Amino acid sequence: MINCRDCARALNPFLDRALSDDDVAQVRVHLEACGGCQHLFQFEESLRRLVRVRCQEQSAPESLRLRITQTLAIERTRLQKQKPRTDPLG
Amino acid sequence: MRVARKANPTTSRTWTEKVSGIQSAPGQLVRLKAVNAEPAAKATSNATQEAAANRARFEEEALQHLDALYRTALRMTRNPSDAEDLVQDALVRAYRFYDRFEPGTNFRAWLFKILTNTYINSYRRKQGRPQESSLEDTEEFFLYNQLSDDSAEGVTDVEGTVLDQLGADAIQRAIDQLPPQFRTTVQLSDVEGLSYAEVAEATGVAKGTVMSRLFRGRRLLQRALWDQAKSAGFTSGSKVHPAAPTTHQQPKANGVVAGGRR
Repeated sequence: MINCRDCARALNPFLDRALSDDDVAQVRVHLEACGGCQHLFQFEESLRRLVRVRCQEQSAPESLRLRITQTLAIERTRLQKQKPRTDPLG
Repeated sequence: MRVARKANPTTSRTWTEKVSGIQSAPGQLVRLKAVNAEPAAKATSNATQEAAANRARFEEEALQHLDALYRTALRMTRNPSDAEDLVQDALVRAYRFYDRFEPGTNFRAWLFKILTNTYINSYRRKQGRPQESSLEDTEEFFLYNQLSDDSAEGVTDVEGTVLDQLGADAIQRAIDQLPPQFRTTVQLSDVEGLSYAEVAEATGVAKGTVMSRLFRGRRLLQRALWDQAKSAGFTSGSKVHPAAPTTHQQPKANGVVAGGRR
């Protein structure tokens, strides 16, 4: 079984879902047996959630969405005019 | 006859308007004209039609990521007006180069990569040298240790702690205090949910670099979050700080749980 030190080292990749299935299983076995590490993992996970959820409350201003739609329309017209004339009849 | 009438261009145009937000559907109209045209003209029309359909798809897909792009741009520039300009410039560039995007690969990471490059090429120069962060580095699991000080069990959730009182503004200010390379990496990973591989592509570094930046960046973020809680007065009088801190010194965390220390 992995020790507390290895377990703490695995915290980031574990929470980031970047561990192999084997390693995940090893971490889980340790967490089952070690209350200290379990609390740490739970705390860190809840902290990540707090940061993610609160920050995702912010969205782009509606005016930006509109501005981009308009800019892309202008860009589209520009690109269409730029098209090389490959049509021999034209 | 009824079926033929149903398949009129109006229906298609409505769909295009819906996905692109723009009143035009050149591809659809061209296709109807092209049916009886000369082969050469037909080929051109098909290319035009394809290009138009591609662009409509670009807009639909790109706008789905607008919030994430804007939030990230805001962390990069730390200024709403620059952030809006940056997102717009990046999306126009992405639109121009959309034919170079390989279908089936990760569109979101590709967009963030263009955002990062646009920022580096145009905005970072404008903003001058990034200001040095005065953020103190911390031990690992700093917040956990701080908050678990008086608890034999160790705290298992931020809910109910001083951190829970931090609003979006305070958390964003904390992220803004990170040095630039850590800031973008933490934002992309911890707020926008990109994988290591996606962050690596978006920021143009190796996966290992992403991991070490995250490791360090999160540690710094813990300190920055604590500073936010402190400056908002949330920690004064709490069990963690029986005496209001008057210096930059942090009380040493005691009673670290197993695994909390290297």
